[in-house]
Amino acid sequence: MSTHFFGLNQRAIEYSYSIGRNEFGGAGFRNPVDMAVGDDDVAYVINRPHESRPDAVRVTVMTLDEEFISQFSSYGDEEGQLTWASGVALDPQGNVFIADQWLDRISIFDKDGEFLDCWGKTGTGDGDLDRPAGLVIRDDGTLFLTDSRNHRVQAFSLDGRFKGKFGSLGDGHGRFNLPWGISLDKDGNVFVADWGNDRIQQFTTEGEWRASFGQPGSSIGQFHRPASVCVDDDGDIYVADTGNNRVQVLTPDGRFVTALAGDHRLSRLGKEKLLANPDQIRQRALAFANDPDYERHFNYPCSVKLDRQGRLCVVDSKQGRIQIYAKTKEPTLV
Amino acid sequence: MTSNYVDLIAHLLRRAGFGADRDELEARTAQGYDSTLDELLDPLGHPGIDDDLVFRLHPALYIPNSIESCVHDWVYRMINSPRQLQEKMSLFWHTILCAGHSKIDDGLEMGVMISMFRDHGMGSFRDLLYRLSTNPGMLYYLDNTESHKVAVNENYGRELLELFSMGVGMDDEMNYTEDDVKACARAFTGWNVAPAYPVFPHGRSQWQFRFDPADHDDGEKTFLGETGRWNGDDILDIICRQPATARFIARHMSNFFVSDEPPVPSWRLTPPLHPELVQTLERTYFESEYDITAMLRVLFTSEAFKSESVRYSKVKSPAEMAIGALRLAGEHRELKPGLFEVSLEPKYMGMDLMNPPTVEGWHTGREWIDSGTLVERINFTSDLLGNTELSGVRSMIDRLKALGQALSPEALVDGCLDLIGPLPVHEETREQLLAHAQRGGEVCHGSAAEDAEFTRRAGEMFQMIASTAEYQFG
Repeated sequence: MSTHFFGLNQRAIEYSYSIGRNEFGGAGFRNPVDMAVGDDDVAYVINRPHESRPDAVRVTVMTLDEEFISQFSSYGDEEGQLTWASGVALDPQGNVFIADQWLDRISIFDKDGEFLDCWGKTGTGDGDLDRPAGLVIRDDGTLFLTDSRNHRVQAFSLDGRFKGKFGSLGDGHGRFNLPWGISLDKDGNVFVADWGNDRIQQFTTEGEWRASFGQPGSSIGQFHRPASVCVDDDGDIYVADTGNNRVQVLTPDGRFVTALAGDHRLSRLGKEKLLANPDQIRQRALAFANDPDYERHFNYPCSVKLDRQGRLCVVDSKQGRIQIYAKTKEPTLV
Repeated sequence: MTSNYVDLIAHLLRRAGFGADRDELEARTAQGYDSTLDELLDPLGHPGIDDDLVFRLHPALYIPNSIESCVHDWVYRMINSPRQLQEKMSLFWHTILCAGHSKIDDGLEMGVMISMFRDHGMGSFRDLLYRLSTNPGMLYYLDNTESHKVAVNENYGRELLELFSMGVGMDDEMNYTEDDVKACARAFTGWNVAPAYPVFPHGRSQWQFRFDPADHDDGEKTFLGETGRWNGDDILDIICRQPATARFIARHMSNFFVSDEPPVPSWRLTPPLHPELVQTLERTYFESEYDITAMLRVLFTSEAFKSESVRYSKVKSPAEMAIGALRLAGEHRELKPGLFEVSLEPKYMGMDLMNPPTVEGWHTGREWIDSGTLVERINFTSDLLGNTELSGVRSMIDRLKALGQALSPEALVDGCLDLIGPLPVHEETREQLLAHAQRGGEVCHGSAAEDAEFTRRAGEMFQMIASTAEYQFG
């Protein structure tokens, strides 16, 4: 007897569990678009609900064990408020940095949600912003930001002093079209979700182009409006292939490993909500029998982040939840 | 180009879309009537709204699932879609194939229904009727989900005939009988909706049509004189073959795009306002195998439509009123905060989008206007067109300045009327506008103080024009 292996089988990405439920306030999320994970598995999730519910614009603070801690900020343009939050990152002290693509500013809160400061000025010059989208902070306190409508990446100190930039509008190497998500690998290489060009680009820490992965489409290794990217300690690349409703996993040199379509099972908070609404349990049972797969799948996943254990957190935006995956060398029997 | 040609293009852009600012009007005039019409009739030949960008900047607007976000999304599309006729047709069908959120109570389903009108409203009427008859929101709205083989509910079957396809009668005759209604309803038994996921804990899921053969009355039925074991599909075939259906759809088109007709219930006894046009549309309906785009082409190239006598003769619906003013003022021409509040304006003017008062829809024409809605129409549009910070208003002021260093009161009034329409007004209205302009005398620009005064007076004149009776018509 022989066994034939096809594809890359040294690793497996397995669904673990989900957290959250759709909520306009408190323990849950509403149109979440990005998250950051800090010490003790505390996650900061930014919510972008419809304008008719400005009360639901907030940052939800919740552990990855689904313990709701708090929420902070509100809708508006005053200091400490958010209008169109689109990206969040933590500095080494655990302070929370949020990019607001309407206000063209970065707002800073401490880990308990107290507003500390904000900076940013609309424009096209060095250090100016036009729809800042994603951000990531290096251990040395350098903040990298996708300045989306200026089609570039800018680097700042944490207090907003301009340190450098790279990229401009275009589709050649090192050029961007409305970049969104941004992350670093363990060696400091910069990965950018080049949203409008349907690809991921890799740069050195100095901003020199190294590689591009993907092209427009829906086949393996192709993307439709990728919104986010992250890289694990093995160098494997996770891409929120948002417009294709999936997460793709690539090797460090860009070969396709697998695609995740979503595997949701009810979260603890989800179960609690249903237990408090028995009529919905009955309705759910009928729906589940009719279409058991519907609820499992991603619905516009727009952010991928790794926690301190290397678990993959996928912000499943339209469903108001986060699906969590773990990387294993020995997959469980399915 | 003659001013009459510009007027004709402006007429087309108002009726086949939601109006245009002067830049677009000039570009379309240069493009020509026929070429512009070709473009309007071929929405898929041109890029539409960038849905990915909508998600990125306004995540809750992408596949909106609350009624507020659905209306918001639709208003954004009406303002900004390059496929203006496609969006106008979604409004057209929404006013005829009516269902409302007050009963459906699911914004996602209302959004799905409007998307269906958008995506299929310019194709085959037969196809549209099938999609309507399998649209879960509609099946629920008209109780077909409660219609069973052993207990028929006639609501959908009745409204399908009376309001969605044939109409009660024409030429003094009845189009169908009570027995036809019953046969129709029997044929649609078993056309139902599959159980959907509840709203908790992850939000609404889209309803799905489900045919249940065990709940379908498969027996013999006689419908409009034809006998067989008809299913809903067969019924739609028979309906679409009826001259009454051709008349009904043709007259609705004439009513929506050409001239306000009397209320629909009177159509059995009242002949169409444009009988030749309606007859031509009826022929086209059959010759094209029920193709709506073919009918629209005939309509927009007809003398009845192009006639000067029908321009500015229709009372703008609240949606046309609000969207037209927003487009002219250049407001919300890109995604930005604040459109939700604005999207409620048609509702305040008497047209609660996605929530018509009944399955009969809204009473249109002069019934759009009463003392309350008139105040809302005037307040909204005059505030908008008087806001000299808005790009569209600034553009109109720049064009006024280009007329000369100094404008007489007459030139100011006529220039503003031209830029807002061109809008013809009665002599009495013009005299009132002129009397106001003459109080300020000649208006100049050049110095900062003169520019400020010029801007103020132009904005004021735009506001006054938006308050005229003539501006209520489109």
